Amino acid sequence: MQGKASPAAKIFLMTIIFILYAPIFYLVFYSFNSGGSMSGFEGFTLDWYRELLGDTRLLIIVLNTLVIALLSALFATMIGTFGAIGIHALKRSKNSILGLNSVLIVSPDVIIGASFLILFTIAGIRLGFYSVLLSHIAFSIPIVVLMVLPKLAEMNPSLIDAAKDLGASRWHVFTKVIFPYITPGIFAGFFMALTYSLDDFAVTFFVTGNGFSTLSVEIYSMARQGISLHINALSTILFLFTILLVGIYYVISQRSGLKLGGFRR
Amino acid sequence: MRNASIIQFRHVTKQFNDETVVLDDVSFEIEGGKFYTLLGPSGCGKTTILRLIAGFIEPSEGEIFFNGKKINQVPANKRQVNTVFQDYALFPHLNVFENVAFGLRIKKMKKTAIEEKVSEALSFVNLQGYEYREISEMSGGQRQRVAIARAIVNEPKIILLDEPLSALDLKLRTQMQYELRELQRRLGITFIFVTHDQEEALAMSDEIFVLNKGKIQQSGTPIDIYDEPINRFVADFIGESNIIKGKMIEDFLVEIAGKPFVCVDGGMNPNEPVEIVIRPEDLEIRPEGEGKLSVTVISQLFRGVHYEAHCRDLEGNVWLVHTTKKIQVGDKLGLDFNPEDIHVMRFDESEEDFDRRIEQYTEDESLGK
Ligand SMILES: Nc1ncnc2c1ncn2[C@@H]1O[C@H](COP(=O)(O)OP(=O)(O)OP(=O)(O)O)[C@@H](O)[C@H]1O
Ligand SMILES: [Mg+2]
Repeated sequence: MQGKASPAAKIFLMTIIFILYAPIFYLVFYSFNSGGSMSGFEGFTLDWYRELLGDTRLLIIVLNTLVIALLSALFATMIGTFGAIGIHALKRSKNSILGLNSVLIVSPDVIIGASFLILFTIAGIRLGFYSVLLSHIAFSIPIVVLMVLPKLAEMNPSLIDAAKDLGASRWHVFTKVIFPYITPGIFAGFFMALTYSLDDFAVTFFVTGNGFSTLSVEIYSMARQGISLHINALSTILFLFTILLVGIYYVISQRSGLKLGGFRR
Repeated sequence: MRNASIIQFRHVTKQFNDETVVLDDVSFEIEGGKFYTLLGPSGCGKTTILRLIAGFIEPSEGEIFFNGKKINQVPANKRQVNTVFQDYALFPHLNVFENVAFGLRIKKMKKTAIEEKVSEALSFVNLQGYEYREISEMSGGQRQRVAIARAIVNEPKIILLDEPLSALDLKLRTQMQYELRELQRRLGITFIFVTHDQEEALAMSDEIFVLNKGKIQQSGTPIDIYDEPINRFVADFIGESNIIKGKMIEDFLVEIAGKPFVCVDGGMNPNEPVEIVIRPEDLEIRPEGEGKLSVTVISQLFRGVHYEAHCRDLEGNVWLVHTTKKIQVGDKLGLDFNPEDIHVMRFDESEEDFDRRIEQYTEDESLGK
């Protein structure tokens, strides 16, 4: 480790973080404004939240969002984990497949969304819950792969030989050695997939149909109809939830990170 | 016939991806209950032999037998062989107890039996009380013992050890050499031990296989191999030696540095060019004019127990001498040695020919007396 950062560097960092977070705090702040707009703070109120909670349509959308996030993260984690194991076992084509994987991650959501829309239309899949779920699973898989692969690469290959040597079948090698070893990566992948799904606007916007909506799409359409502090309240809730997820992820990776730190000699 | 062999290699060849041949027509037999060592320089194929025995890889050609049954295709998890890996390969997510219990759990043994066996195995390697330690909390030597316990707890017929001591410091290493040897005697299990350290091999083994470039150069007891190396490679690799060109005038008479000397080797053609080996500790320093060779000291090094000196004879051959006497660079001295200290090696002699010849001339010798 190098010495402490200079005061100038610290101030720079604080400024950047402040600039990044300021709009969010501004938005959160006005979600408690009793005046109807973001132009002047008139007084504290929880009315906007109360109204949100009374809005069953919105509650259903929240539920949809959560269900999509959880299910897509779950499937993506399963598929991505096995995918990563498969890719790890490859020798020659490994790098090209990894390249394809990264391309999926960095390519613009709009393009991915549009291509899913074309795909679903051609395949005759009705736009709605399933189309959203499928596309979320699809764009989460590369993320999971990317989180699990480093763990596999870090694993000493002689552990697998050792397990076989001690009588383990392929299945036992997987359940007793590989899986426990890469669990932190799997969790990291799961939470990443969860946040990606919760966040996603562009892809969902393309592939969702009439009558099905997720929070980010809903916030977008509310914003288009005109400024209302409902948006602020809803965004605040979403923001807090994301922070909660990041917190959980942090705790998990810390815990396994400590143990992992011990692994390395 | 001899049926005590537990592992047998018959003309085993191994090459990876049709590239270089890593093992070239290797044949040998391993008997039950002994301590074997595979000795050779880096890359000579030692680990490959162990991996073939363990079942991680299959031979490209040839056959491997276990207790008389061919096991070429038997997978690793079905063989009664356990390995102590070079890097120990302990499971980092399991504690000491669970590491040792791994094989037993796979066999679905009863809980009480597992506890009993694990604690027995741990006490065998002097690790009682460490059951619930994490692997990361164990020292290098302790990890090594856990790896051994994890192997012996399964009561295999053979334990393969791939340079298990190379990561330890000198002192711990010497101690572990004793412990391993002692452990092998107590268990009576066949140990196949890999090392590139010739001293370790000489100290520990019942039998040594010296390997080079995918071929077994020589096999035999440590004393046989040390005293009667078959060729230049073995003589050079095992211990320190003076290897000098010579000529076998007739049986029991060899020409070295232009002079004839009585020796104990025979069975070669008259006037055959040969190489002779004399170990540095067999050379004795005498005053100038005495002894069998006249030499000049060209360098000297203090080695603790002895001085190590390089001396040049009149023919230009350089002799390495170990002596406890103090000598000076530039001294003119005599070197003396006994007939039985001379070991004669033919060029390109196979191990079978070597053994046959040795058998023959020792018979001739006893007849002649
Ligand atoms: N899976 C493999 N694919 C290709 N070549 C291999 C493979 N495993 C080993 N080799 C080659 O086979 C040769 C012998 O390897 P091996 O591991 O048996 O050597 P070793 O005697 O154990 O050496 P060391 O003392 O360095 O461990 C080496 O040249 C190595 O590069
Ligand atoms: Mg090796």
